[in-house]
Amino acid sequence: MSHTLETPADASSGRTPRSTRSTRSARGGSRSTRPGGATAGRVETPARKKARQRSLVLRGISLVVFLAATFFLLLPIIIIVFTAFKPTSEVNAFPPTLVPTEWTFDNFTRIFTELPFARLIANSFVFAGGVTICALVFDSLVAYALARIDFRGKNVLLIAIIASLMIPFQATLIPVYQLVSDLGWVNTFAALIIPRAADAFGIFFLRQFFVSLPRDLDSAARIDGASEWRVFRSVVLPNAVPALLTLAIFTFVNNWNDLLWPLVFTTDSEMGTITSGLTLLTGPGGIIPYGVMMAGSLIAVLPLAIMFLFVQRRFIESVATTGLK
Amino acid sequence: MRKLLATLAVAVTATAALAGCSTSSSSTDSNGHIDLTFWHGYTEADGKVLDGIVDDYNKSQDKVTIKTQVKTWDVIDDTLLTALSANKGPQIVAMPAERLPVYASKKALANLDDFYADDKNAAEISEQAAAMETVDGAKYGVPTGFVPLSVFYNKTLFEAAGVTEFPETWDEWVDAAKKLTVDQDGDGTPEQYGLALADHATVGNGVWPSLFAGNGGEIVDDSKSVIDSPENVETLEYWSKALNDDKISPTGLDGVATDKLFSSGKAAMTIGGPWMASVSTENKIDYGIAAIPAGPVAQASSGIGVSMAVTAQASPEEQKAAQDFFSYFFSKDVATEWSLGSGWPPLRTDVPAADVSSNPVVASLTDISSTTKALLPGVINSTDVLSAMDEVTQKAMAGGDPNELLGSASTAIDKALKD
Amino acid sequence: MPGGTQRRLTAAAFLIPGLTILVVFVGWPMVSALRLSFTDASGFGAENFVGLDNYVRVFTDPDILQSIGNTALYSVLFTPLAVIVALLLAVALNNPRLPWRGFFRTTLFLPFIVSLAVAAFAWQYLLDPQIGLLNYWLRGAGISLGNVLQDPALAMPTVVLVAVWKNFGFYMVIFLAGLQDIPGSLYEAAKMDGANAWRRFTNITLPQLSNTLAFVGIVALIAALQAFDQIYVLTGGGPYRSTQTVVMEIYESGFKDLDLGFASALSYVLLIATLILSLVQFGFAGRREKDAS
Repeated sequence: MSHTLETPADASSGRTPRSTRSTRSARGGSRSTRPGGATAGRVETPARKKARQRSLVLRGISLVVFLAATFFLLLPIIIIVFTAFKPTSEVNAFPPTLVPTEWTFDNFTRIFTELPFARLIANSFVFAGGVTICALVFDSLVAYALARIDFRGKNVLLIAIIASLMIPFQATLIPVYQLVSDLGWVNTFAALIIPRAADAFGIFFLRQFFVSLPRDLDSAARIDGASEWRVFRSVVLPNAVPALLTLAIFTFVNNWNDLLWPLVFTTDSEMGTITSGLTLLTGPGGIIPYGVMMAGSLIAVLPLAIMFLFVQRRFIESVATTGLK
Repeated sequence: MRKLLATLAVAVTATAALAGCSTSSSSTDSNGHIDLTFWHGYTEADGKVLDGIVDDYNKSQDKVTIKTQVKTWDVIDDTLLTALSANKGPQIVAMPAERLPVYASKKALANLDDFYADDKNAAEISEQAAAMETVDGAKYGVPTGFVPLSVFYNKTLFEAAGVTEFPETWDEWVDAAKKLTVDQDGDGTPEQYGLALADHATVGNGVWPSLFAGNGGEIVDDSKSVIDSPENVETLEYWSKALNDDKISPTGLDGVATDKLFSSGKAAMTIGGPWMASVSTENKIDYGIAAIPAGPVAQASSGIGVSMAVTAQASPEEQKAAQDFFSYFFSKDVATEWSLGSGWPPLRTDVPAADVSSNPVVASLTDISSTTKALLPGVINSTDVLSAMDEVTQKAMAGGDPNELLGSASTAIDKALKD
Repeated sequence: MPGGTQRRLTAAAFLIPGLTILVVFVGWPMVSALRLSFTDASGFGAENFVGLDNYVRVFTDPDILQSIGNTALYSVLFTPLAVIVALLLAVALNNPRLPWRGFFRTTLFLPFIVSLAVAAFAWQYLLDPQIGLLNYWLRGAGISLGNVLQDPALAMPTVVLVAVWKNFGFYMVIFLAGLQDIPGSLYEAAKMDGANAWRRFTNITLPQLSNTLAFVGIVALIAALQAFDQIYVLTGGGPYRSTQTVVMEIYESGFKDLDLGFASALSYVLLIATLILSLVQFGFAGRREKDAS
C-alpha cells in the first residue's frame, strides 16, 4: 500500500523535465514550504507550460491517492468518532452503520455525570505534563554527555541504558511499587512522575539526534571558549527542536494513555487520570458501554490532537529559524 | 532558550510542590477504632447499593469504619498483587470467585473457618455458593454473588418464528434454534441465528461446564481430570453437529461476541449472565429469561460467582472487624437488600423468591438457581484448566475430533492440577 | 589530553541527575527482578531459593516455547513492515509538492494517540465476522472476509497489521524529524548530477538517516519483542495460543498465577535475547554511523 502512496509524489519530482531544474533549485529543495508548480518560471515556454500542467496533474493524483489511503487508515478513527454520537442500540445494531442514523449527545452527558471529568483531566495534565517536562530536561542532559563529551565507559553506559529498555515493565513493576511505597509516595503525583522523570528511551532517542548534528557547529563555539553547558544550551538544543518536540509528544501521549501505571500507584479515585477513570465505565460482566467509552476517549484524545497539530507546525518553523540548513 | 529553561524550572518546582501537597495521611488507630479498606468491582448501580450497605454498617456501630474503593474486576486483579507486595493491600477485597483459590493458595487470604463455624448468618449461605470459597478443605472467603448462567431469548424473533414454548430439553432447544435460523439467500451463511453459542472464553467460563454437566460429564473430579469421559465426547459431538450441520450458531464466538450478536438482534438466544437483562433493554430487545434446557442426564447451570475475602496482611483485630461486617452483610434484611440491588439471586437459602419479586429479573433467576453448580471449586490453577477446555471446545466446534481433543486436554489439565 | 579531569567532571554534571533516577527506579528494580528469578516468590509472603528451576522451565515448557516462537514470528513480521511503512510515508510527507501536508501529518498520527482499548473496539467493529462493518460492505460485493481474528492462520498477520496501524505514526514522526536534518544542498547537488528520485532516496536519504534508522529499527524491534497489550485486547492470545506472546506469558505467570519468580526468569531470557539481536542490529548501524559523520 505504501508503495502506491510513495510513487506519485516522488515520481513527480523524478520525472520533472530538466528545463525546470534551475527554478526548482532556486526554491531551496525539499524543505521549502512554498507551493510548488504555480510559482515556476515567469516566462512560460510551451515546454515549460506542458511540464507545469503535468506536474499539476501528478500533484492532483498524489493528493487523491493520499486522501484515499488516509481514509482507509483512518477508518477506525472515523468509527470511534461516529460511535460517540450513536445511541447504544445503534452501536450494536445489524446492519452496522458508519454514520449514525440517530445522533445523540447522551454519551457525552453521561461522561460528565458519571465521572469527575475535570479532576481526571487535570490529573492527566499534571501527570503526563510533569513526566514530559522532567524527562526532556534529564534525558537531554544525559544524551548530550553521551553524544558530545568523551569520557571512559561511554559506550558501556549507552548499552546499559539501551538494555534497560529490554526488560518488560511487567517484571519490574512490583519492585518499583515496593520502592515507591517505602518512600510513602503512593497516591501522590510524586509516585506517578518521579520514577519516570528520566527514561532510557528518551536518552537513546536524543543521543541519536545529537550525534547526527554536525560537529563544526559547536567547535566554532568551543574555539570562542564556550563551556559545555553553553554549547549544550545555545548550540545543540536549539538545533534539536524537532527531536525534542518529537520526544515531548511521545512521552506525553504514552503517559496520557497509560492505564496500568496510574491504576497501580493511585488507589484514591481523586488521583486517577482520564484514561484510568474511563475503565470505571465498564459494567458487570465486563460489558462496556461503547458509545459512552468512545465519547470519553474522544474528549480525552482532543488535547493530544491539538498538541500534535501545534507541534507539527513547529517542525517546519523550527527548521526555517535554526539556520542550520 | 533561557526563558524556556526558566519555565521548565518553575514547572518542575510546581510539580514537586503538588506532589508534596497531595501526600495522603494514613489514618492511625486512636482509642481502638478500626479503619478498613474494601476494594470491590461493582461499578454500576450495584456498586452504589453496596456502598450504601457499607455506610449503613458504619452507622450501625462505632468501632469499625469501612471505606470502599471501586475498581473494575480486571484492575483489582492487576493491582492487588502490587499492593500486597508492599504490605499496602486492602483488608477486604472482592474478586471473581475463580481468582480466590490462587490468592488463598499463596497465603494472601485469611482463613475463615471459624467465621463459618461460629456465625449464625454464615450458616445460612447456600452450599454451592460457599463451595467456591473452599481451598484445600478450608474456607477463605464469602460469596457476594452466585448466579446461574441462563438463556436470554428474543421474544420478538420467537414470535416471528412461531416458537411459543421455551424449550426444556436439548433436542427441543436445537429444534427451536433451527426454526429461528434464517438463511434467506441460501448461501449457507444464515442472516439470523437461532443461538449464539460461544466456543471459547465463554461468559464466566461456564457455558461448556454447564453443557457437559447436562450430559452427566465433568471436568475435574477429586483433583484429577475427567474431561475425556465418553459423556463429554457425546456432548461435543452433539453440539458440533448442531453448529456445523444445522448452522444454528456461528462458530468461533467468545462470550463478548455472543452478547453482541444477541444485542444486534441477529441471534435469537444467548447464554449469559444477569447483566444481559439491562444490556437487552438498552439495545431495545424484548427479552425473556429461562433456564438452560436440560441435557440427556440433568438440568445444570454453571454459576458465575464473586467472592470477598480478608487479606492475611490485616491484623487480628482488623480480621475480626471484617468478619463482623460479613455477618452484617449476610443478615437476612441486608442479604435481601443486596440481592435486589445487585440484581443477583439471594445468597441465603432462606430468602424465598417471593421476597425478591419486586425485581423480576432476580425473581426469575432465583426460580432457576437451585441447580446452579460452582465452577471448578477449589481448583487453584483454574486459568490453565479453563484454557485447555477452551481449546477443546473451539477446535471441536470448528470440526475437530472430540475424542482426540479431549484426550490431549485431559493431559494438559492433569499437568495444570499438579503444578 | 589536557583538561581530562575537567571533562570528566563536566560529563558527570550532565549525567548525574538523569542517571540517579534511572539507577533508582530502573536499575534497582532490574536487580530485584534478577534476584527473584532464582526464587519461587509470589510477590508477597515467604520466598525460597530454587536455583535455576525457573530458567529450566522456560526452555522445557512447551507452552512457553510456543510463545517464544510466536514472539519471533510477530517480530519478524512487525519490525520491517512498521519501519518501511513509516519511512515511505515520512519521505512522501516531506515532499513539499504534496498539498495539505499538515493535514496528512496530523491525521496519520491519530492512530498513535488514541488509546488501545478504543482502537481495539474500532477494529472489532470493522472485523467482526457477523456484524462487522468491513464484512458487511464486502459481503455486498460478494466477498467473505471470514473470522480473521479466530482463524489460527490469519490471527497473527491480522494483529501485526493492527499493530503496524497503531504505531507507524510515531515512527513516521521520528523519520520526519530526522529528515529535517538533511541539508537540502545535498539533494540540489544530486539533482544537478541528474540523479532520479530513487537514487536520491538510496544515496542521500538513507545514509543521512542512518542514525534515525538505527534508532527506529531497534525501538521497533524492542516493541515487537515486548508485544503484549495490543494482542491482549484483540485476541487474548488465541485462537489456540497462536498469538500468545512471551510478555503475555510473563504477565499471566506474574499477575494471574502469582508466580513472580518464573515471570522474572522469563523476563531475563527475553532481555538477553533482545540484547543480542539489538547488538547485531546496532553493529551494522554503527558501522554506517561512522561513515555518515
